[in-house]
Amino acid sequence: MKQMGFYFDQTRCTGCYTCSVACKDWNDIDAGPENWMRLTTIENGKFPNLSLSYLAIACNHCADPPCVKVCPVNAIIKRETDGIVIVDESLCLGKIECGAKCLKACPWDAPQFNSKENAKMRKCNLCIDRVKTGKQTICVEACPMYALDVDSIDKLQKKYGNNHTAEGFKDNEKIRPSIIFKPKKAKIKKSE
Amino acid sequence: MILIMNENNIEGGKSTIKIVNTGCCHDCGGRCTLKAHVKDGKIIRFETDNGEEPQLRACLRGRAYRQKVYHPDRLKYPMRRIGERGKGVFERISWDEALDIIASKMKEIRDKYGNSSILFVPGAGNQGMLHGVTPSGLMLNQFGGYTRMWGIPSYEGALFASMATYGTMMTGNAREDLLNSKLIIMWGWNPANTIWDPGTPLLFAKAREKGIKIINIDPIFTDSAAILADQWIPIRPGTDAAMLSAMTYVIINENLQDQNFIDKYTHGFDKYKEYIIGEEDGIPKTPQWAEEITTVPADIIINLAREYATNIPAALMAGWGPARTARGEQYSRAANILCAITGNIGINGGYASGFMRAYYSRESVGSAGRKKSGPIKEEEKKEMEKKQTPRGNPVDFRAPPRKDALYKLRGGTNPVSTRIHFNEYYDAILQGKKGGFPAELKMAYIVAENRLNQYSNVNKGIKALKSLEFIVVLEQFMTPTAKFADILLPVNTFMERNDIAVPWLGSPYYIYLNKAIDSLYESKSDLEICKELAQKLGIDPGLLNLTEDQILRIFSSPRKDIKSYDEMKRDGFYKVKVEEPFVAFKEQIADPENNPFPTLSGKIEIYCDHIAELNIPNMPPIPKYLSHEEHYDAPLADKYPLQLLTPHNKRRTHSSLSMIPWLEEVEPHRLWINPKDAKARKIEQGDMVDIFNDRGRVRIPANVTERVIPGAVVIYQGAWYNPNEEGVDVGGCGNVLTKDTRSPGGAFPMNSALVQVEIFSKKKSEVTS
Repeated sequence: MKQMGFYFDQTRCTGCYTCSVACKDWNDIDAGPENWMRLTTIENGKFPNLSLSYLAIACNHCADPPCVKVCPVNAIIKRETDGIVIVDESLCLGKIECGAKCLKACPWDAPQFNSKENAKMRKCNLCIDRVKTGKQTICVEACPMYALDVDSIDKLQKKYGNNHTAEGFKDNEKIRPSIIFKPKKAKIKKSE
Repeated sequence: MILIMNENNIEGGKSTIKIVNTGCCHDCGGRCTLKAHVKDGKIIRFETDNGEEPQLRACLRGRAYRQKVYHPDRLKYPMRRIGERGKGVFERISWDEALDIIASKMKEIRDKYGNSSILFVPGAGNQGMLHGVTPSGLMLNQFGGYTRMWGIPSYEGALFASMATYGTMMTGNAREDLLNSKLIIMWGWNPANTIWDPGTPLLFAKAREKGIKIINIDPIFTDSAAILADQWIPIRPGTDAAMLSAMTYVIINENLQDQNFIDKYTHGFDKYKEYIIGEEDGIPKTPQWAEEITTVPADIIINLAREYATNIPAALMAGWGPARTARGEQYSRAANILCAITGNIGINGGYASGFMRAYYSRESVGSAGRKKSGPIKEEEKKEMEKKQTPRGNPVDFRAPPRKDALYKLRGGTNPVSTRIHFNEYYDAILQGKKGGFPAELKMAYIVAENRLNQYSNVNKGIKALKSLEFIVVLEQFMTPTAKFADILLPVNTFMERNDIAVPWLGSPYYIYLNKAIDSLYESKSDLEICKELAQKLGIDPGLLNLTEDQILRIFSSPRKDIKSYDEMKRDGFYKVKVEEPFVAFKEQIADPENNPFPTLSGKIEIYCDHIAELNIPNMPPIPKYLSHEEHYDAPLADKYPLQLLTPHNKRRTHSSLSMIPWLEEVEPHRLWINPKDAKARKIEQGDMVDIFNDRGRVRIPANVTERVIPGAVVIYQGAWYNPNEEGVDVGGCGNVLTKDTRSPGGAFPMNSALVQVEIFSKKKSEVTS
């Protein structure tokens, strides 16, 4: 089975949030708690020996996605054709009614809810509307640093290697997230 | 060209979406591509450049622009003030009535006090080759002129230094030339956030990936320091000239300078050397001397000096931020000279620092708008004066040159003795001719300029603006400045008109901003407003009578690098093909006999005779490290021990975009304070704190972070001034605290204010628990 996924070059990410804002613009998502593409800032060290990294994570469209398993109404589907994990909003019970089981099951908070009462789950669908017309995802095309890529995981591995960890990212071998990294290694000198 | 495409919409039906090739034109270092998807007359989303490399990818500011266009707070119709100035209470009036009031007040004020009583306050909040301030300037010229201001807060110190050292602003190399460097030093520069042309941060990443070492010097551990650089050297604010002097000391002391280069291309090295080694004032500028001042350990200064002088070609890129200080030009000149004495100028991979502009199809030397650099000759002066009429500003036509303006290089057609420095105009309004200013100012015509917020000393500004007889503001939003208008006119955005965006820092391309949608509400373009106002004023609208397309063709025609206007309009951009990457001063270095530097001596001026002749206090003919009354070692530091910095952040362009929800959530507005300084004040993460000095008080939450040097605090500039009932600014505008003066070279001291910080209240969650 073909499995689509992400590549993230952490050494390049300046934390500019362009991917995240472009995603909100393309998918018409208001400012607020619903963030399909999320940035985390990882700060370490004491002045003047500091390190700073960013981590941009959307949905990892896992090989064995836990969100699919826990959804009580089977609203979350892993597509056979490309491994993309999508949600059928019309089936979703809503955050309050279901208790956001999918969000609790996901190690990376990919399932998202807006601020409306009993909001339905939505999340990164790997821009299936764009990809099917031969375009790249909006985040990949947005990144001013060319730090993101989306393709089949085989092709990404060929191009970028097979590194599964980065600063601030905890891999999960059971779930097998479809993302590979070029990690930024913290260069903190031991304080004297 | 506008493409029409059919696309499956989310509901599965077919809908027609027009894609309009336009762009983003804020007052940042970028000018970028946006493709507006328009459905039923409304922009529904954007894409950016996905074509030929190098792509002009928009950053988050451009990607969020839809929330500005459709923001509920957009000004929707003309308004007349009915409350107290500054309170923001207005009533709706018609365009006809608004323009009638403006025209009659302008005529009344002109007839009573003369044209010099009209202060034109042009800003960059609404830009383009055609729109923004241009139509208002043309109209005011026709009306008999106005009092003009000089000085640009972003770069005036760096500009002065660039002119004094090199006689030109064209001192940068093309970005891709960085890949030829062996070492890059980014000094007080954060292009990851400020976007010096869209490709700059990427170029740094590529340079690092190529193995080129990048060092960043800054009081803040910025995204550029953290992500783009290999090494961060924190430095005490305002002491950069001391560190540069010490690096020069090491280089001279170890005989690492390029003496051949110095002898051949520079003027006055020996006098600088006397200062550096201590012959002039008895103080050798050793690394140990600099360590005391800068807090940078002497061994780090020594290593950096050696690395820079022995890894030729090396690029020292001196940002503008450290020059936004009370003695800003000293730092910039010292950096320029370090580039020169190591022979890093005019070669691939080197860098001259200076103003750092690399490509600009119409090189201008600044205020005089000259087409070429170099000392002004008599015949050229006459030619320029002839050209000035009748299109120039009659109020400063043929006025004598301002003495401190390096007038032999910058004076000429628009000499400046009738002009007021942008950071001193509150005093000019309040004191007039009695205070030594050239005019009695009675009205302000403010365009796209959140003046009150973005220049120093907000509280004095309020007094000044309240004292004027009449204020007109052309704006898109109810900014803190707009609240002071008597008549407030709604201006459209660059999605609602045609224009051209010209990059101004170094990359060879243009953006054509095709109109994507009709003007919203009753807003109009600057062109429409000024054309109608000119008619009411009874003056010839001249150029303003033409269409946008006609004017843009006229404006772009002198730019020989635009081979096809129509192609540019069709594509929404025009990428100029350059034969080889630009390297500043390549000709001067390769063939100095035939290509002198455009300075008075024809050489790089380490010692500047012109400055010596001007004889201005705190403006020595060689650059020196100088203290001032709001420096860390000034007596005032006993009362206000912290140095305030007000740099740019990643989510605004100055005060534009302050109101955009998508951008606001990216980085909440906080005072950055080091844990050491926070602990001494019992401040914890998220506590509400007061930042204050004799000029005012700001109240925002604290971000206790290792990312700022102890002794300095940071308020990112551009947050909107919002006073509570006691006059405390709870919006977090740093300029409540900065000083409304200038350096001798015209730099704005936005990074030279002393403050104190105290806790106001504990973080809410802790109070309630």
